[in-house]
Amino acid sequence: MAIFLVLFITFYLLSAFTLLFIKTRWGLRLIAAINVAIIAALVATFAWEALPLLERDGLAVFVNSDWDPPRESYGVLNALVGTLITSAIAITVAMPLAVGVAVTINEMLPQRLRGVFGALNDLTAAMPTVIYGLWGLFVLGPVLQSVVNTVSTWLGFGEVMTAPLTLFTAAILLAIMITPYAAAVIREGYALVPRHIEEAIYAIGATKFEAVLVKLRYVKNYIFGGLFLALGRAMGETVAVAMVVGGNFARFTLNPFESGITISSLIALQFPNAHSYQFMVPALFAGALLLAVVGLAINAVAIYILQRATT
Amino acid sequence: MGVLAVLPLFLIIGDVMFKGVSAIVKQLGSPWEFLAWLPPDPLADRWGVGRLLVGTLYSLWEFLTRLPPDPFADRWGIGPLLVGTLYMTALGAVVGFIVGFPIGVYIGEMRKEAFANVARASVNVLVEFPTITIGLFVYAVFVFVIEDLNRTLLSPLSEWLTSALGDGVGQFIGPLGGYNAYAGALALSIIMIPYVALVTASAYASIPDSIREAAYSISGREFKAMFIVLRKAVSRAVLTAALLGTAKIAGETAPLLFTALGNIYYAPFTQATAAIPLWIWYAAQTPYDVQIESAYGAAAVLLVIVLTLFAVAKLAAQKR
Amino acid sequence: MGKVVGETEVMVGSMTSSKSGVVIKNLEVAFGSLEVLRGVNLEISPNTITALMGPSGSGKSTILRVLNRLIEIYPDARVKGDVLLDGRSIFEMDVVELRKRVQMIFQIPNPIPNLSIFENVALGLKLNRLVNGRRELFQRVKQALEKAQLWDEVKDRLNAPAGKLSGGQQQRLCIARALAFNPEVLLADEPTANLDPENTAKIEALFLELKKEMTIVLVTHYPPQAARISDYVAFLYKGQIVETGPTKEVFTNPKHELTEKYVTGRLY
Repeated sequence: MAIFLVLFITFYLLSAFTLLFIKTRWGLRLIAAINVAIIAALVATFAWEALPLLERDGLAVFVNSDWDPPRESYGVLNALVGTLITSAIAITVAMPLAVGVAVTINEMLPQRLRGVFGALNDLTAAMPTVIYGLWGLFVLGPVLQSVVNTVSTWLGFGEVMTAPLTLFTAAILLAIMITPYAAAVIREGYALVPRHIEEAIYAIGATKFEAVLVKLRYVKNYIFGGLFLALGRAMGETVAVAMVVGGNFARFTLNPFESGITISSLIALQFPNAHSYQFMVPALFAGALLLAVVGLAINAVAIYILQRATT
Repeated sequence: MGVLAVLPLFLIIGDVMFKGVSAIVKQLGSPWEFLAWLPPDPLADRWGVGRLLVGTLYSLWEFLTRLPPDPFADRWGIGPLLVGTLYMTALGAVVGFIVGFPIGVYIGEMRKEAFANVARASVNVLVEFPTITIGLFVYAVFVFVIEDLNRTLLSPLSEWLTSALGDGVGQFIGPLGGYNAYAGALALSIIMIPYVALVTASAYASIPDSIREAAYSISGREFKAMFIVLRKAVSRAVLTAALLGTAKIAGETAPLLFTALGNIYYAPFTQATAAIPLWIWYAAQTPYDVQIESAYGAAAVLLVIVLTLFAVAKLAAQKR
Repeated sequence: MGKVVGETEVMVGSMTSSKSGVVIKNLEVAFGSLEVLRGVNLEISPNTITALMGPSGSGKSTILRVLNRLIEIYPDARVKGDVLLDGRSIFEMDVVELRKRVQMIFQIPNPIPNLSIFENVALGLKLNRLVNGRRELFQRVKQALEKAQLWDEVKDRLNAPAGKLSGGQQQRLCIARALAFNPEVLLADEPTANLDPENTAKIEALFLELKKEMTIVLVTHYPPQAARISDYVAFLYKGQIVETGPTKEVFTNPKHELTEKYVTGRLY
């Protein structure tokens, strides 16, 4: 059965690439269909693999917060809430920064530095996430803990952050990771502001600051598009988050200063021993399905906004 | 604000490079160790610098080929990690480029077609997909096909190849284990495909119609017009895309977690394979100092690889 | 269908026994729902310059793009009717063969800007395997550049990117690129529209030289240019041919009111 799938894929690839030389357009269409097929196969696979648990528990999987493998009880609500908390904080911190960074690079810097800073911004977005995780684990976590505790003690709440590795640590690390990414999207829009509009803004006597505001309104689609793309990235980020989130599978929490878990880090951290249990693999695939569907929806919104912006 | 944009970058690179390079230097040991090992040289004074260089290179080579540490080791290296990363990245990049490039050409060249819009949307979605889901997908696919594939195809094939070419073939082709380098490379290539496709598509879409007409009228066959003449017109953008995509997948961890799994020994690529990012992920979370140190050392090497690819890509993009 | 075309072939073959003449029969072209050509009939004699003129949007450039089937790269274009080259339908020829025989130069000089001057001319020859070995390639490129009267200006910097040349030089480079194929028909789509008078004069002189070897179809929206260099003109208006004939006749004694308006500069 499986061998037919392998043979079919082999035959498909061979004929698509052969066709490229003979009937180029048909070859191209067949190859482009691969990308569509990957997405369909991905979602279908997750649904199929999650089916045993979905048959047993129904959609309760997504609203149950009890993750207790020995009792074969798997609810991903805990992780879902963790994902929402971390990405909400990350977006709130990152968006103003991203706008600021984009404006700074495109407006304030002299032309010569613009390229350098733009490249550095791109590099920040392209760094391996595991390196962010390493830094978050050994540098950001402890620093953040002492900073947060100093501030909260001063405010009279006592030491609120009891461990270096918490949802909050993950959120701040995510903010650092997605800021350059969102900034790159906004910069792209900024570069498309037509010359004559820029001239018109200054011609009516706008100050630099007012001009920036007007232009930001002009690129607002890019800001929202960048926001959604960054949100999608924050929700899907795995390794860096898993390294600093604390890995608390069991206890439900809404407090960002406690250790927690997100869907993607749940998958990364629990999968290695998932095969010892009957329903954990389906549970993790259910989590992946949720991640894929939510990610698909968020990216669809982002792409829709950005495509409207360019046409 | 401008400082803020690059501050985390410098903090992170500074931290990783400082701790990583000092960990590596500690492992390198003294070049004199190697020199003491050589017969005494009557011309020592004259060739001192050369011998020092050879000694340094030798201990660097030792570092690059030694095994990563168990919790109680004191000498370690990154041998299997480097081999695994290079192999899977190269394979993933090549496959990703071969598939991603024509998809980009299709979306860019034939953008008026309805299906091109579908393909464009799918590429935009896939490029943003959480990479862990791609790893999980490839894992599920391999679980599904691996038994049949081994029995009907790979076992006989590898037996035949081994008898024809010798035992070395077994390092590359053979019955696959549940985790192997090819699953890892496949996951990486799925990440590379939409990335290359997107950049290629926008490069092709930016070619003016006048150049497009010239390309078609001198090359006749559509294939040659699209893949030779027009590719030459956008070669720089495509090269940049390939390099940046390679840099991106070289540092990916999540898609390798359930596909290559990781290893601390040299193993055939048909079995669980080591990779630098996987080692960083694993070693950083252990309580042993020497392993954490090695995570930093490996991270420094990974950074050098990624930064080099990134710098070459940016230079290639800018060169006029 | 094939049979009908076969008969046409014999018929036309006997009518025009010339080498590399072009006969356009009942040509209709539409882009999506927009009809660009509505039944064009035209005979183009060998070794002449035939000027297609008419206001913008009249379909002149579209005719050229049908003649070497470049129209096929536009997915929404539909073509009806037939075009015969030497009595054979171009739609039944191999498109590669056709484009080797029917080369084209464009309104905007379009060398591939990041490739070298040499490479721009050589690429077409290499892709179509028209030459054996580097020596022959160099000879052919040199010949083409000489024919396009560009050789003396660029012979010392053949490896410089083509984008560095001036507009007039770029256009002559494109002509050289087309001439490298030794085409039988040269299509020129307003080749001087973006050039200064001096470069325009150079290229016009070049065309008069080239017509000894090939058939030239020149699209222009500048009637004096047609009057200066063409042997025959065809005047198009809204996708149809209004008038056609020897240049002198059409310019001195236009039969149609629209033509008269156009050649006297009262219709754009």
